[in-house]
Amino acid sequence: MSAHSRVARTRAVFTLTALLAALVRGAAVATLVFVLAGALDWAVGLERAARLVVVPMALSLGALVVIFSLWRARRTLNLGAVALWIEERRPVLRYSLVTALEPGAAGAALPDLEQEVHGVGWGTPVLRTASWAVGGPTLLLLVALAVRAALPPGVVSRIETPRAGDSLEHPRRAAVAGANRLTPLVATVTPPAYTRREAVTLEEPSSIAALASSGVRLEGRGSSAGVTAVLGDEALEVMGTTERWSVIFAMPPRPAAVRLGDGGASRVIVLEPQPDSAPVVTLASPARDTVFREARGGVPLEARAADDIGLTALWLEYIVSSGEGESFTFRSGILARRAARGARTASLRSVMRLDSLVLRPGDLIHLRAVAVDGNTATGPDTGVSETRVLRVARAGEYDSLAVEGAPPPDPDASALSQRMLIQLAEELQAKRKRLARKVVVEESRRIGADQARLRKRVGDVIFSRLGEAESGEESGATMPRPSMKPEELLKAAEAATSGEGAHALDFEGDETPVVAVNRPLLEAYNAMWAAGRELEVGEPGAALPPMRAALAAIMRAREAERIYLRGRPAEVVVDLAKVRLAGDIDSASAGMRAPRARLSSSAASRAARLDAALLMLRVDPAAAVDSLALLRVDALLETPRLAAQLAEAVDSLRAGKDATTPLARARREAAGAPVVRAHASEWGGAW
Amino acid sequence: MSDFVFATARYESGDWDSAPLVPPNIIDTIARYTSIDVAPTGVVVPLSSPDLARYPLVFLTGHLPVRFTKEEHEQLAQFIDRGGMLFVDDHNHDIDGAFHKTASEEIRRTVGPLADLPNDHPIYSAFFHFPDGPPNTGHELNGWGDNLLHKHLLAVQREGRIAVLYSNKDYSSEWGYHPDNKRFLAVDNTRFAVNIVVYALTR
Repeated sequence: MSAHSRVARTRAVFTLTALLAALVRGAAVATLVFVLAGALDWAVGLERAARLVVVPMALSLGALVVIFSLWRARRTLNLGAVALWIEERRPVLRYSLVTALEPGAAGAALPDLEQEVHGVGWGTPVLRTASWAVGGPTLLLLVALAVRAALPPGVVSRIETPRAGDSLEHPRRAAVAGANRLTPLVATVTPPAYTRREAVTLEEPSSIAALASSGVRLEGRGSSAGVTAVLGDEALEVMGTTERWSVIFAMPPRPAAVRLGDGGASRVIVLEPQPDSAPVVTLASPARDTVFREARGGVPLEARAADDIGLTALWLEYIVSSGEGESFTFRSGILARRAARGARTASLRSVMRLDSLVLRPGDLIHLRAVAVDGNTATGPDTGVSETRVLRVARAGEYDSLAVEGAPPPDPDASALSQRMLIQLAEELQAKRKRLARKVVVEESRRIGADQARLRKRVGDVIFSRLGEAESGEESGATMPRPSMKPEELLKAAEAATSGEGAHALDFEGDETPVVAVNRPLLEAYNAMWAAGRELEVGEPGAALPPMRAALAAIMRAREAERIYLRGRPAEVVVDLAKVRLAGDIDSASAGMRAPRARLSSSAASRAARLDAALLMLRVDPAAAVDSLALLRVDALLETPRLAAQLAEAVDSLRAGKDATTPLARARREAAGAPVVRAHASEWGGAW
Repeated sequence: MSDFVFATARYESGDWDSAPLVPPNIIDTIARYTSIDVAPTGVVVPLSSPDLARYPLVFLTGHLPVRFTKEEHEQLAQFIDRGGMLFVDDHNHDIDGAFHKTASEEIRRTVGPLADLPNDHPIYSAFFHFPDGPPNTGHELNGWGDNLLHKHLLAVQREGRIAVLYSNKDYSSEWGYHPDNKRFLAVDNTRFAVNIVVYALTR
């Protein structure tokens, strides 16, 4: 074997040794980190967040050590460096090995060099060096593994797989907890099956918020003997083995507290039930109540539903009410239905065929959408939409059908026109002197024609209010009243507006309100007549006063109070004095009655309880914290802001932190808004 | 202002004003037998109005299906939570009728499920003694409606008091006449109304 081959083999041995040593060294460092963290956890108990980083940190450090070791051993890859290392251990070679490996070594000298090297061996120092390189880290790894094996199983699992609730596996805490088995405490909350949510584990809970009827399991270290648990007024069964005790109960529907006891120690845990909301249902179509003239055709239906957890079904249901007065019959049914299969939102479209419902005139259809959720624990909860009422008109009420109310005529349109006419007349009057008489008359008549059109519109409004479909001015044959011709009506209107004959349109005294409502418009109508006459003869200046009077009357009509005539039920006023004087007790006798107890002020009670708990803080902090927790149970429903402050305070006190700020806020919430006085109160006492 | 004002609930669905003569008749009865400072006329209060809380007792009746709006649902729940009492009478006197089915469903959704009220409940001795429970009505005895003689009233109770009193006996028809006509009756048939009012004011 040549010198080059022998050195190459030695290099391979060194490379393998370096690789192996680096791996063992890295493993040893990783194990040491793990062991140190375990020892620290065993001694003081590490938080879960800290334990979560131990394994990644150990692996990272181990990898760094491996990389660093390989970097340091990089020279083993160099053939010359290996040859020099051998020359140092075998001086007898006198650099013949290094020389033989040099690139320029060739020719006649090479056989001599090979001959010198051939007689020298270096296996022993190589093996010794390799053994030392691997042996040290291996020993360190073995020691670390031995220590790891000696750690308690609870510590190992807490470091290897940290998880919520593993505080119960801490061996040192378990030993200390002999005097009080209420710490550590782990709560496992299992939501109802229909929610398909996973169980949640809480460590050292001061309060538990979960869906009502969720399964709650409280677990602690030690035997169950002597441990008590009371939920509200009900004692709970404490189960368990010699190592673990546990209490299982369902989350109540209203806020409550679980009081755990172990000898003289106690612990209060507030239960905050979160109700499963009922589905929110919207009936999008039909969007409003309506009336059908005939029960034919189809009505498109659309409903939407949403739930916080999941819907089971959504359907459209109806009730048909037939009859009137004291005689009603009803039919009900479901128009369309769909299964939601746990979806949080669902929609339903269908068409209601009125023909298929066999409706008669006067029938009412009460239509609504209904959705149920999948709550099998406390429900199912049902959500309903607003109800739409669809009515089939009776034959006699056809003329009164007014499904969509028409908007009122826009008075501004008329007023603006009158203003425009006034402006035109004023402009014509202003330039009258510069125009020929003929031009003035033409312009004036043009304005007069517009004034006549506007007068006709006002007349239409007046006559339609008086009960005619069109103006009596133009129709001639159709009269507002058979007894009156248009001219008579206009005379009557003029009389009414002159204030001399307010009863002129008061037909038999039954239309006074109509005249009263129309009076400004009648004034405008008459003024427009007067203006029209002046404009026809080419006198815009003379036409302006009645035109302005017409505009003022229109504005008054616009601002007039509207009168809506509606039916009013007869009101019966009981003559109490008369009744009491004529009382007849028959044969009845009065029973015994007890006065109602004075209602207590819950707010004042809460404030007093908070004060008492704060006083107790100095004497018995644990009892004070329990009192605050119980106060929070009562505050959850009525004053959630106070409950939130109390929760923060309880958590701070249990963690040994300063709770001054949340307690001060809780005090403010409990005491309510401060009383503000306008001035300082008077001094009292000796001054 | 009088101590007691008789309030009738107005709701969006149905015919809430189907018994307009019941309030004056009950007011007349209260004045006739008690010294309660009662207002001579009743009021109509929207079920969706916060004003509901101003009245200790609210009367609700009708023939047609009852569907509370969201606002009515919320205000009625608040009214009950704050100690109010709702007296519901099925003007249909028909347990198969739409009023009963829908009103009882809405009450269940808003307050809680209705249950039989025992005939020895304090409401039957709150003023007059009714040892046999609720007095029967002419409509029941004549076989109107569901053709039943209802032995019990229904109620939802909260902490030992009646929050919702529900009747299928059709007191709306029985008491729906002008109070002046009471003089023609041998026995005043509205006496039970006194018990309801007194119970609502004292519990």
